Amino acid sequence: MNTFYATNLLVYAGVDIIACIALNLQFGVSGITNFAFIVFQAAGAYAASVLSMPPDSNPDYSFQLYVGGFQLPFPLPWIGGALAGGLVAIPVGLVVLRKLRSDYQAIALLVTSIIANTVITNARPFLNGAAGLALVPQPLQDQIDPRSDEYYYFYIALTAVCVGLVWFVAARIVNSPYGRTLRAMREHELAATALGKNPVELKMTIFIVGGVIAGLSGAILVDFITAWAPSVWLYPETIILFAAIIVGGRGNNVGAILGALLVPVGLEEVTRQLIQMDIGPPNLIPALEWILIGLFILGFLWFRPEGVRPEPRRVFRGGPDVGEVEHGRLA
Amino acid sequence: MAIYEAAFGFGLVSMSVIALAAVGFTMQFGITNMINLAYGEVMITSAYVAYYLDRAGISIWLGMIAGGLFGAVFSFALNRIVYAPFQRKGTSNLGMVIVSLAISLMLANALLPIVTYNSVSYSEHTGSIVRLGGLVVTINQMIIIGLAIVLMIGIHALLRYTRLGKAMRATAANPTLARNCGIPTQRVIDMVWLITGGLCGVAGVVAALNSDSFAIASGAGFLITALAAAVLGGAGQPYGAMIGAVIIGLITELSAATWSAEYKEVVAFGILVLVMVLRPQGLLARRGALAAAG
Repeated sequence: MNTFYATNLLVYAGVDIIACIALNLQFGVSGITNFAFIVFQAAGAYAASVLSMPPDSNPDYSFQLYVGGFQLPFPLPWIGGALAGGLVAIPVGLVVLRKLRSDYQAIALLVTSIIANTVITNARPFLNGAAGLALVPQPLQDQIDPRSDEYYYFYIALTAVCVGLVWFVAARIVNSPYGRTLRAMREHELAATALGKNPVELKMTIFIVGGVIAGLSGAILVDFITAWAPSVWLYPETIILFAAIIVGGRGNNVGAILGALLVPVGLEEVTRQLIQMDIGPPNLIPALEWILIGLFILGFLWFRPEGVRPEPRRVFRGGPDVGEVEHGRLA
Repeated sequence: MAIYEAAFGFGLVSMSVIALAAVGFTMQFGITNMINLAYGEVMITSAYVAYYLDRAGISIWLGMIAGGLFGAVFSFALNRIVYAPFQRKGTSNLGMVIVSLAISLMLANALLPIVTYNSVSYSEHTGSIVRLGGLVVTINQMIIIGLAIVLMIGIHALLRYTRLGKAMRATAANPTLARNCGIPTQRVIDMVWLITGGLCGVAGVVAALNSDSFAIASGAGFLITALAAAVLGGAGQPYGAMIGAVIIGLITELSAATWSAEYKEVVAFGILVLVMVLRPQGLLARRGALAAAG
């Protein structure tokens, strides 16, 4: 196993973990079925690209058309990517999260995802349409050679720092009184409203927080693969992340990480090996992979809806004897 | 002016196609409380059934019947094997949306190795051109419009004047009460899936016939237009879906004539967003997208 392959695996794992933690905050903790998740990752990736690339009038870049081209130094494109994810979440959230029933929210977000992809594909001058952006500069590439082993280690470290940061923020959110409020809303929105919590405000906040984290994951990914196009953020990509959360365990960050390692990372690696074995028609193995993801979702929802690692039951220890309460429920 | 007349002609065809798709979709939701996101993929699968029959030299109209039968049987089986067990298990509405999306993904990918990504079209000649005043439509398009009108009247008659239709309306209003009144709701729901599945299959073949070419990726577009019409009319309301289809069909074709054909679905989506912001319960509101239901 060479360094490049290992780096690929680790960076992808890091990006998937960050994305799964963000989606878990929305879907697992707060009950928002964000079928448009990949759009926010894409927003971050596009923003990070145009912030770090030179203007499209530059002769090396003149084969593509795009807005911006600010050539900002390293941390700024990633910060910009994260902000872009959050900014895109605001109008989407305002339309979808205010009045609609939860299952309608899900389909509205799904449709948003499909349409956003159609628009970006067809509107070429904006972000180079279907061909997408290429030759995205990598962080600090003028100081370390991007093809050296040192650069791979540097990128892994950079990704790891971001994973740590996101994990810290997510853990703080989940374990805070605010996280408790989110879970209360997920479990019984009407009851939480009756206790004076504003569900629209709660959902909007976590939608934007999730959007920011998703944007960051997109920025990390695009600077590693140096290209981004509509074909990499089709709506089924969101479904993989949902499969990861459902398999790993909804509502807890450890489950989200477990899911990220099992589904997107594990499955894609297995598929990569199978593709090398060259079985059947060219589309067969990727198609089987998608069917497997569907089966994972159905199987887990049927046999083990709580996932591999269930959300811990949070019990208030100061109240009446826990044993008595349990007993009372059984009786 | 001619461009608008032509667009109106296309709009008539378009609204017929959308109505066929949207009425089936909305009835599934209204009666069985199931937002079936696999609808678009069942449509495209039926279109491919007709395509392979077409290649074998069978007329497209027979292919359409075959597509309808396939859609009916497939949807029936889908409900019996997947949706109904999950619903009986107490899966939430949201969980059912995820289940149907997983099915949609699996169906598209089961089809992919067979049909590949390539666009195909039916060999059927479009038929000679008919001029009605300023409108220019082909014979095939006339047949599509006629078929939609006949089927819409059929659905109306079914819901209004038959015992089955009455039972369907009762099941939609309150399944528990309906069962307590002696209505065999299980059989009613089976019939709903057969009928709406048939509509879905026919709509798939008609939509494929009406577009120059179709591919596996067309399923998502089919779903979006059907969804937009259904939500615009008020989800679960067959008559609402018909009105929604008329509006969406006309507006998308007018926008295609004046702006760009690539953005048809975007326009349908724009209408969907407007409805969700301004009137989430849809035009004919009784039970709609508003919070605190089910």
